Amino acid sequence: MKLRAIILISIMAVLDGLLSVWMAQQSYSWFPPQASAEAKLYDQLFSIFVGLGTFIWVGVMVPIFYSLIFHRAAKYDASDGPAIAGSTTLEVIWTLIPVVIVLSLSLVSYRTYDKMGTQGPETLVHLHAPHLMESAYAEPVEREPEEPASVETNPVESVDVTAKQWAWVFHYPEQDVTSTELHLPVDRRVRLVLRSEDVLHGFYVPAFRVKQDVVPNHTIDFEFTPTRTGTYRLRDSMYSGAYFAANQSNVVVQSPQGYQQWLAMAASQTPQPAYNQAADEYSQNNNNVAVRGWKRVVPAPPPVVNYAPRYAEEPESSDDPENHLEG
Amino acid sequence: MANISLEPTPSISAQPYPGAPDNWRRFFTFSTDHKVIGIQYIVTSFFFFLVGGTFAMIMRGELITPDADLVDRTVYNALFTMHGSVMLFLWTFPVLVGIGNYLVPLMIGARDMAFPRLNAVSFWMIPIVGILMMVSFLVPGGASQSGWWAYPPVSIQNPTGNLINGQFLWLLAVALSGISSIMGAVNFVTTIFKMRAPGMTWFRTPAFVWSVLAAQLIQLYGLPVLTAGAVMLLSDLSFGTSFFAPERGGNPILYQHFFWFYSHPAVYVMVLPAFGMFSEILPVHARKPLFGYRVVAVSSILITLISGVVWVHHMYASATPGWMRMLFMVTTMLVAVPSGIKVFAWVATIWGGKIRLTTPMLFALGGIINWVFAGVTGIFLGSVPIDIHVNNTYFVVGHFHYVLYGVIVFGIFGGIYHWFPKITGRMYYEGLGKLHFVLTFAGTFLIFLPMHPLGLMGMPRRVASYDPEFAYWNVVASLGGFLLGMATLPFILNMVSAWIRGEPAGNNPWRAYGLEWLTSSPPPVENFEEIPTVISPPYGYGQDQPLIATNEHQEATQVP
Amino acid sequence: MTVERAIANQTEARIRQEQAHESAENSKFGFIVFLLSETMIFLGLFAGYITYKTTTTDWYPAGVTGLETREPLMNTIVLVSSSFVIYVAERYLHDRKLWGFRIFLLATMAMGGYFLWGQAVEWRGLTFGFTDGLFGGTFYLLTGFHGLHVLTGILLQSLMLGRSFIPGNYESGMFGVEATSLFWHFVDVIWIVLYTLIYVWQ
Repeated sequence: MKLRAIILISIMAVLDGLLSVWMAQQSYSWFPPQASAEAKLYDQLFSIFVGLGTFIWVGVMVPIFYSLIFHRAAKYDASDGPAIAGSTTLEVIWTLIPVVIVLSLSLVSYRTYDKMGTQGPETLVHLHAPHLMESAYAEPVEREPEEPASVETNPVESVDVTAKQWAWVFHYPEQDVTSTELHLPVDRRVRLVLRSEDVLHGFYVPAFRVKQDVVPNHTIDFEFTPTRTGTYRLRDSMYSGAYFAANQSNVVVQSPQGYQQWLAMAASQTPQPAYNQAADEYSQNNNNVAVRGWKRVVPAPPPVVNYAPRYAEEPESSDDPENHLEG
Repeated sequence: MANISLEPTPSISAQPYPGAPDNWRRFFTFSTDHKVIGIQYIVTSFFFFLVGGTFAMIMRGELITPDADLVDRTVYNALFTMHGSVMLFLWTFPVLVGIGNYLVPLMIGARDMAFPRLNAVSFWMIPIVGILMMVSFLVPGGASQSGWWAYPPVSIQNPTGNLINGQFLWLLAVALSGISSIMGAVNFVTTIFKMRAPGMTWFRTPAFVWSVLAAQLIQLYGLPVLTAGAVMLLSDLSFGTSFFAPERGGNPILYQHFFWFYSHPAVYVMVLPAFGMFSEILPVHARKPLFGYRVVAVSSILITLISGVVWVHHMYASATPGWMRMLFMVTTMLVAVPSGIKVFAWVATIWGGKIRLTTPMLFALGGIINWVFAGVTGIFLGSVPIDIHVNNTYFVVGHFHYVLYGVIVFGIFGGIYHWFPKITGRMYYEGLGKLHFVLTFAGTFLIFLPMHPLGLMGMPRRVASYDPEFAYWNVVASLGGFLLGMATLPFILNMVSAWIRGEPAGNNPWRAYGLEWLTSSPPPVENFEEIPTVISPPYGYGQDQPLIATNEHQEATQVP
Repeated sequence: MTVERAIANQTEARIRQEQAHESAENSKFGFIVFLLSETMIFLGLFAGYITYKTTTTDWYPAGVTGLETREPLMNTIVLVSSSFVIYVAERYLHDRKLWGFRIFLLATMAMGGYFLWGQAVEWRGLTFGFTDGLFGGTFYLLTGFHGLHVLTGILLQSLMLGRSFIPGNYESGMFGVEATSLFWHFVDVIWIVLYTLIYVWQ
């Protein structure tokens, strides 16, 4: 009887384990493209968590459903179950195992975090914070062997990022180029200098799996390494008021040559007002909704930049721009 | 195993003590009876649950298409702000206080709460909070649009420039709700410490009472800190001080510390009583003692302690230095330990029992299933690197709605069904109850599960419009949301019709073990003819041992 | 008026009597719980003050170099000693010496009043206001919030003084006086921390 139980439990554990491994592999497909060195580390860590989480969830569900199926009271059975009030051994086991699990997960997370080394604020609120977390940008980023080994690990590109209600403006200090689209070279460590002109914003590029709140009055350094060319979405992740959802932009990761060409092209253009969705919607008072809104913070005027994917003069796609503001 | 008397009470409207008319009018008076106040709390907050749910369905209507085309962005922002505020301050907190109010004195064998008048005052603040919140939609500039966190600087921007604005009324309402909660907490803690029946030692006190105590202790240490932050926010908003205003040299991040120091533990204020109800419901409907009762009881207090040192996990992405991120990652993950203890104890409780899948049992089991899922995603969120990607995305929204709806609201529904025969003296309709459960479980799954993949794909929370790539899961979630809204209808129908003309239930329809089941249904004013003397621990299923010392009055209702 | 009601009233009266001293005990316990909770507001404000002071570069508004400490020290001594005075008052009441109680309670009120007056004088003489930077904000917030508590304490004391003239007021215990005294000690302890933070640590 006891042997049978042990065999049954072992089989269940193996099945649960296989299912967990399968889920852990599946988890890679739940994300946007893996476009940075950090994203790679992130997806690995997430996969570990998914595997373990699946194992625990299934491991708890199986006995619950087994009970629900096999331990039901018969219709006229008014008796009680066995009066088992507890078991010290079991209770110790199911206290200690979770302790070990969460501490190991913390350790694994710490190692991943350390490797990512995205900088972030060290000086806010706690001025004298010891610099415990040595940034990892000096260390080589872990890469597959077949990939080119020519990755620059020192931050070579520094871009000033300004967030405001509701626009993103990127400034390349060396070339003095401004843009409403963030262009970055592939396989280079990038350092962004994040600033906000008004409220809290969040710099978030899902394809890079990185995020940092942008805090007014503070300058925050932020680093990561794009590893895949393409166009990705940058979203404001910290709620910033009326047009928060519209405060998005594109990130274009290019080959180093393409990036340099773009910089040169942008530098040659005279600054023009860029298209800005918040300002545009505000000027039309968004008449295409069913329920009108209230008075709101006036959006900043469209940023004047060297390069914008769309300029303000372009014709609007909106339906009825002739209507006007209320109060 | 002796049989217990199941003969129905002759008339459920009989009140052993006159002076407490069994009519609806007493629910509109300044009654000091903890049972009347409990019902007042539950019914009032349920009304606001419907209001908050309506807001949620308008939001899901907006999100069924990628563009912001149903309501204006400001209206959407006000809706999610007020949805969160109403659901927390006017539904979850008060309904749990109401259930605690009704049950705690009965469970510990007391005649009432320690301070009955204070209790009534605490309740009557809740309708005022509700009125303030609703009126804020009508002032110029509309209701607060800064989210239920009210993070500055957005919350102090005040585009209308008026002194009386939505944010101001919101702060006023939250402050009132805080005062009400503090008074309630003082009342609960005193009641539980000082008014337990003779013989009811700490380890003879039901797990639900332990969990209420643990929850109310959090209110006592956490709420005042939020109050301090709220006072500073209010003076920034209304008097032009600079505490959190960056343009005047203030520090907006400090507000987040004030806010989360309370508002993370606040989740435990809500989830602990739900856990307590699971711990009460499972033994009754599985006919087995609560497995490891002492450890389950103590783990509630452990959660109270740990929850005081985890708040920064809400701020990993917001200007938090690395050492702080790491420190709070470890403390956050440790919360999983006492929570895990509870889950394992519940599984062991039903294991090998005589399970009856009544409606309260279904809700308790559904709540536990959801909790294991939400607990796992909670560990994900505790990990700093994982959180950095999903922070402020729909992954977080999915996680906490799984906790708040999947666990807490399930616990509340389970508790209401379980004690409905005690509260009203009548039985609810089992078929409608099961229908309610099935719809609710399916709705919860359909609306909140899709939010997780959305978050992983990178959809930020609090957006009125989104990129078309997110449309698929949003449509699923919206349909689930409408289903969940409809799922409330059988519940309302069940409660109203059963209260008016349900079958008389008798004093102890579940043959449950516990002081509240020893008195009549509904219990008389002052609860017990004679205060019982407790002689054994709770959950004595399968043991031939009486719960209380026998005397001439209680023989008839003695549980074997 | 039915027989039933009469029986009920009788039972109720009996229960009330039983519960009378129990409820005084509960009230005291509840009041201590409340004070502990109230302490957390001040701890929160203190934590905020310390954070601001250690992280702000321009702590003082233009033209302000620090706070005068002499008069506030005088104020502090008066407030702290009033804690002993109210204790004496409580002892008198304990010995059922009502007049001693009243006189010492009045003395406590006078000392509390002196403190508030001293603070009002200090506020009037200051060159910065509530909205002058983080220093101005936290200074007025902390001292004002504490002053509000002092005022509450004095009001409670005057209430106790008034009620001491009601015959038979102390038959059901002295919870009111005990609570007032406890509150006053609480206000004093908070002030000591506050004084150290604002005036000593400059």
